[in-house]
Amino acid sequence: MTEEVEPGKPQYVLKNVLCVNCHSNSDRDTIKILGGARVPVVNNTVKPVKPLAGGNFYYVAKDFGDRKGHNVDGVTSVDTKFQRSPPGYDRISDPSARGYNPEKPFACAGSNGCHGNRNVEDPFDSIMGTHHADDSDIDGSTTARSYRFLKNTNKVKGVVGLEDDEWNQNSSSKKHNEYSPSIDILCASCHGYFHSKDKTGKERPWFRHPTDIVLPKGGEYTNYNPDFPPPPDRPDLRTYSLDAPVGREKIPGLPSDEVNPGKDIVICLSCHVAHSSPFASMLRWDYDAIVAGEEGKGGCFICHTGKGE
Amino acid sequence: MSRERRAKSHEPRAKMKRTLFINLLLPPYSPLTKGGHRGVKKGGVGGLVLFTLCSMLYALCFPYMVDARVKGKCKDCHSMHYSYEGREMTYGGRAGPFPALTEGGCIGCHGQAPYGTENIITIGKARIPQVLHHMQNGDLAGGNFYYVADGYNPDYSRGHNVAEISLQENPPMDVPPGFIRSVIIPGGIGPADWPGQRQLTCAGTWGCHGDRTIEDPYKSIYGAHHTDDSEIDGSTVGKSYRFLYGITGKEHKDWEYLATIDNHNGYRGDMNHSSMDTISYLCGECHARFHPHANLGGSREVGQVYNSLWLRHPSDIAFSTVHGGFAGSEYQGYVRYSLEAPVAYSRPTGGEEVVDMNSIIMCLSCHRAHASQNPDILRWDYDKVIAGSTPSGTSCLTCHTRKGQ
Repeated sequence: MTEEVEPGKPQYVLKNVLCVNCHSNSDRDTIKILGGARVPVVNNTVKPVKPLAGGNFYYVAKDFGDRKGHNVDGVTSVDTKFQRSPPGYDRISDPSARGYNPEKPFACAGSNGCHGNRNVEDPFDSIMGTHHADDSDIDGSTTARSYRFLKNTNKVKGVVGLEDDEWNQNSSSKKHNEYSPSIDILCASCHGYFHSKDKTGKERPWFRHPTDIVLPKGGEYTNYNPDFPPPPDRPDLRTYSLDAPVGREKIPGLPSDEVNPGKDIVICLSCHVAHSSPFASMLRWDYDAIVAGEEGKGGCFICHTGKGE
Repeated sequence: MSRERRAKSHEPRAKMKRTLFINLLLPPYSPLTKGGHRGVKKGGVGGLVLFTLCSMLYALCFPYMVDARVKGKCKDCHSMHYSYEGREMTYGGRAGPFPALTEGGCIGCHGQAPYGTENIITIGKARIPQVLHHMQNGDLAGGNFYYVADGYNPDYSRGHNVAEISLQENPPMDVPPGFIRSVIIPGGIGPADWPGQRQLTCAGTWGCHGDRTIEDPYKSIYGAHHTDDSEIDGSTVGKSYRFLYGITGKEHKDWEYLATIDNHNGYRGDMNHSSMDTISYLCGECHARFHPHANLGGSREVGQVYNSLWLRHPSDIAFSTVHGGFAGSEYQGYVRYSLEAPVAYSRPTGGEEVVDMNSIIMCLSCHRAHASQNPDILRWDYDKVIAGSTPSGTSCLTCHTRKGQ
């Protein structure tokens, strides 16, 4: 907790560290019970078992390196290279009225964070009340009714999606979060260069890896997740991969194990996790170990099926 | 932060390209005997002989194990977000982002160290031929853009002025000499015009590599490096000789570095100049008036075999079809393959040592593709070739054997 208290203004003394404290665990479990509540753990102080969908800050907090995760205040120290500036930050892409303030710590929520209302600077203020609100309908209209309380700002619709009731702890191709491209808009708020079509290009050849685009219905992409081919009676479909998930333009009522090239969407979270992972750049896999032309599997090759052979 | 290329730093970075490895079978047992003394176990002499024979047989049958497509870490060639440690990078001083997420585009990989002394850069499992470097006696088959590259005392007469390497040439050399509009090219029709401001690119409509019916250089060559090219049949860009769409041939594993007369590029030619998959046809797509194919300049521009004198130096003709016939001609004097003035073959293998009446003259018999030390991208200094003085068997006189000393 590094923020200074402004004189004359009531302050929540816990602020960001409150988030961290509740959502941390000193043992390996990634869902803990507080009172009668099941609390998703995003930061285990020992190596977690079954990290949740967002990953686990364990990997960045344990000095495995800044590249393993977001350096959230209260979890780990400031990134030594990025300092406090998000890579690819583009003020135009940030709908927050305040904008990201590199003079302030990177927080769980608020204008310098991901969760809550990013028009509000104070992390705790920005997410106030959401845990006690009815979030049975995730429509992005309020912070509470936004996917994982990711509202972004009032200016834009909050993130929508289907929340797995175990935060993907026991996920499978049939049981998992369902993402929408709205999550890309949130990522782009701080990493706009990696999302803006002006920066990525509008079509092949891309200048940066595109996100928020349809998984092409052609070429190597038609073999998405080649290790798990669909049943013979569904030749046009592919099987959902937890290692390279896709987003849906329309969020289904139940998680689906089907992936439709030509319809489903490549999102930031197809490759990255939100919090922290064991791998550099918070990737879902070790990019350093992805070698083209050696019959490799997994990782990039879940989509780029023709490059691994 | 500038993340300059290897020429200026030793940061691990890399590229790739298809590699070929001589696959030598390892002995079935270690020749190091118990006790640490190198030798052959009792009774092992016969086995060793057998092994040697088998190895030789294997090597004869399968001289190379070819990596059919690029090998290497994705990160060695691609930057997903054009971001490194939170900053944008430059490659050789050039800022991106670059198409196809490449680290510096074509030149970023294939000309990554202009002042460097490596003509083939190996990083990890990837071997990347350099078309722009400063290695003495290291020019690859295509030549070396170093002679024409801005910033390195260029002489524009010595090479193609490719964008990002050289500035556009002044008129009339801003248009390919011998250009003819709308010629037939593999996959379609060549450009209907070549605007003077249109500079040559590595690939695409205004370049040599890739599918020339596609204007964007990177689109035109998209996926080629990841294509299984163990069979070069010209059917796709990836399966074309050196990614020159529609062209066939045999690719020397080291791009002719240290090539020998029995191990070199195998250039495809057609003695009847009626095929579109020859290396000379590729040249003719832009320099049409210099090629006798009916799609290109044809006999009107170049002349005819057998019964006329040439109007321009022909290509894609065999020695057997020269005026007056092969028998008794000076071309009979060219009998051993010359790396200085190579010939093409109808079915090239890259191992031909013999030159005979069926060997084929091609553009690359005299020229390099990229740039050379000599004007007109020639393989030799034409100014110094003197009839009656220059030794036969060299330069022009490799073929024109009776014109020399």
